[in-house]
Amino acid sequence: MLERNLHKPTRKSMMKSDPALFSAMVAVWISFAIFIFLPILRLFMTTFVVEGTFSFVNMSEVMGKSYHIKALYGSLILATAVSISGTILGYLFALAVTRTSLPKVFKILLGGVTILPLISPPFTSSISLTLALGPNGMLLKAFGIGDFSIYGFLGTWISETLTYFPVAFMVITAILNTMSANLDDAALSLGASRWRMFRTITIPLSIPGIGNSILLLFGASLADFATPLILGGHSFPVLPTEAYLMITGMFDLRGGASLSFLLLVPALFVFLIQRLLMGKKSFVSVTGKNGARTEFAKLPTELSVVIGIICTIVVAFILYLYAIILWGSFVEVWSVNNSFTLRHYGYVFKHGKKAITDTLLIAFLSTVIGSVLAVVIGYIVQRKKFIGKRFFEFSSLLNYALPGTVVGIAYIIAFNERPILLTGTLSILVAAYVFRYYATGIRSVIASLEQIDPALEEASLSLGASSTRTFTHITIPLIIPAVLAGMRYLFIHCMTAISATIFLVSVRWTLLTTRILESMTELQFSQASAFSIVLILIVFIADAIMFYLLKLSTAKYHKPQEITNEKIGA
Amino acid sequence: MKKSALELRDVTKIFQKGHEVVRAVDMVNLSVAEGEMVTFLGPSGCGKTTTLRMVAGFELPSDGSITIRGKDMTNTPVNRRQIGFVFQNYALFPHMSVYNNVAYGLKARGEKDSDIRLKVLSALNLVGLVKTENRYPSQLSGGEQQRVALARVIVMEPQLLLMDEPLSNLDAKLRLHMRTEIRKLQKKLGITCLYVTHDQAEALTMADRIVVMNKGKVEQIGTPFEIYSNPQSLFVADFIGHANVIHLPVISIGDDEISVAIPDGGSFSARALKPHIYSADDTIYHEGKNAALIVRPESVAVVKRDDDKTHFSAEVVSSIFVGSHMEYELTLPNGDTVKASVPFQSGMKIFDEGDEVSLIFDVSNSVFLPA
Repeated sequence: MLERNLHKPTRKSMMKSDPALFSAMVAVWISFAIFIFLPILRLFMTTFVVEGTFSFVNMSEVMGKSYHIKALYGSLILATAVSISGTILGYLFALAVTRTSLPKVFKILLGGVTILPLISPPFTSSISLTLALGPNGMLLKAFGIGDFSIYGFLGTWISETLTYFPVAFMVITAILNTMSANLDDAALSLGASRWRMFRTITIPLSIPGIGNSILLLFGASLADFATPLILGGHSFPVLPTEAYLMITGMFDLRGGASLSFLLLVPALFVFLIQRLLMGKKSFVSVTGKNGARTEFAKLPTELSVVIGIICTIVVAFILYLYAIILWGSFVEVWSVNNSFTLRHYGYVFKHGKKAITDTLLIAFLSTVIGSVLAVVIGYIVQRKKFIGKRFFEFSSLLNYALPGTVVGIAYIIAFNERPILLTGTLSILVAAYVFRYYATGIRSVIASLEQIDPALEEASLSLGASSTRTFTHITIPLIIPAVLAGMRYLFIHCMTAISATIFLVSVRWTLLTTRILESMTELQFSQASAFSIVLILIVFIADAIMFYLLKLSTAKYHKPQEITNEKIGA
Repeated sequence: MKKSALELRDVTKIFQKGHEVVRAVDMVNLSVAEGEMVTFLGPSGCGKTTTLRMVAGFELPSDGSITIRGKDMTNTPVNRRQIGFVFQNYALFPHMSVYNNVAYGLKARGEKDSDIRLKVLSALNLVGLVKTENRYPSQLSGGEQQRVALARVIVMEPQLLLMDEPLSNLDAKLRLHMRTEIRKLQKKLGITCLYVTHDQAEALTMADRIVVMNKGKVEQIGTPFEIYSNPQSLFVADFIGHANVIHLPVISIGDDEISVAIPDGGSFSARALKPHIYSADDTIYHEGKNAALIVRPESVAVVKRDDDKTHFSAEVVSSIFVGSHMEYELTLPNGDTVKASVPFQSGMKIFDEGDEVSLIFDVSNSVFLPA
């Protein structure tokens, strides 16, 4: 009898005592079914079902072509290289900021420069690398190098490293900051040298951050579509671009689907490892009861100097790349006719106006819808107990874990025919963004709820407030900072991401990022630069406004949430 | 008979921890009168907080019933129980001013703004917080936060006031002060109160009655005096204050008294308790078997070695002067350790380490329990 009673409260309560929650759950599951499960299922069927039966025909056809095998290797090698170089660079930057006595201005500059790639469209570094090191490249001319090609593995690798190392920087900075400075003091007081302390304390304790960063960067590079499209060239194929070219160039949906399946396997693998590692939660709790807060011990001077030099070079290079784009947007024809002109901006605001307004509308709608969903899902996952909770959480993050190309292809397959005909509509673009990029929002809501003592909600209930009133008057106001933080990232991604939506744009609805890509493929570099600059400015202004709101929302009772670990995740 | 404010009948809570079934609260029965202050005392994990949370309605019992003022509330949601709950960390809403914190429940109840204002201000006045209504919790000291938490609850005039270790986050001095203040307020308002604590001094000084819990079960319910002087189990004896527990062989059994053999030849008789867990016709003491003699350090007198056969011979192991008292630690010939706390008077004989002494146990304050 007691066994039966055990389960009674949890099971019965959902529908009966909390009808609002119950209907929210039903609505969320339905949206998962349509926008997450259906596309994956259709992708699976397109790949593996031939004339009504299960078959590997498509797969073996794709695998049979040596060029595709080369693309698979290319993807894996590139992802490995980027995850390692990006993590090393990120680690050096993190050390420079947290463990050296370099000037404060320099540290702020480092932090600021790492934000740039995050708010830029994914092509930015590819475009500027092309301008600097491509045919007629500025640096090549300056150094008189004639025979050099940026296209291929090298260019893609450099560009992706510069694009993704800020993620490593944030993940590792967060973990370096949560270490207890007392450990440094203890090591030094036990007679360790600074080198020894760095080797035996700092490095071992940052391993979780390093591991997480490698996984994040591996996944990001694996899924990156824009960089190899511009810089990969024919000699260095990777899976996302091959799948894209197969669909848009050869109209071969089956082939594209099969290729994207090859991509899906390593991506899911990385996602699962990451979930497993993060699931263990080796969180160092920061309760403020750590006694006196001392400063971290500095790195050995030699090491600080080396790190300082490397960071300076990288920062200078990044700033140089952005300067090139800015400059490039103001010249007639890059490297050929360098006279000043506003022609390209004129073009952007005349012929690109629709792309600007479309992008803004889509980003706005996705941000609002995505945030509401993120609050509901985050709340359910963190505060409620129900059967299938892990599956629920996993499902919610599935589109985020899959490479954008896979999601894009799955969406065109799934929504290209009745009953759910969405191709060419605004909804398909919004849905693609919402179910991919609300993940950061969900995580930040969950993280914020973890910080909020359930006693606050219990206090509200015990004072006679209903559960709905408790949610609107206590929970929501307390997680507003997290929601706004999630919104910032959602908006940035909606403005800049391209891998999934490149398949979904149409004559009716187009995006700034696709216009940049078009300009690049038409070799209109200056136009592409002008589009990029406009996009970066819009994102920057919108982000500043949201950051201001974030500050405002929390000014009264606590500090605004910093950009922390995991919020970004490319 | 007075109508009881709260009735717990066979209340049980079972948690499933993986494959293990934990009986966090096991068949708790309790009846609390109107206006009574009952403290729940026990070590951490004994089920006292879970019991309180079930009364509040945060947890539903796996079995048993909870009746508040004659109404069955076992499965009533917390927001319809009209209870006031004070949390260990106060759980003040950080995004609301003091005023809005205290007004929160009244607003949820839909009272008029003018009434709310009057009630909030008088509640703040009652707990000694004036002119703080526009501040935010983060701007208050721990003690002030505690008062806001109290005001927020009493302004609702709840049927029951439930407090979960409300003083454990305060420093020692403030804790003493708040103890008396809470008790005064509770008496003044005549409000029925359940109070969970692991601090025995708090329980003894604040309560009308104490419920001592251990491992999910009630060990004893009684007034502070009963609990202290008539512990029903070795656990209670040991948990409340310090008690010497000496195991000695029984030599004769009387009506409600037994005699035991003293290690060096004599005998000692005192009251023998029959804990409520035994039924009337159980025999719990047996000749030749050990019984546990419970005697508190302050009921032990230390004198020069004499020949009285009811006195215990002992040797002084340590002797510490603590101002008001002499604290002795002594060993009996059988190796048992006894502590004695003797009020200090000028001119009294002070013993040193290694001195041979006799111990006189105050018979009226010594009891036997089954070993």
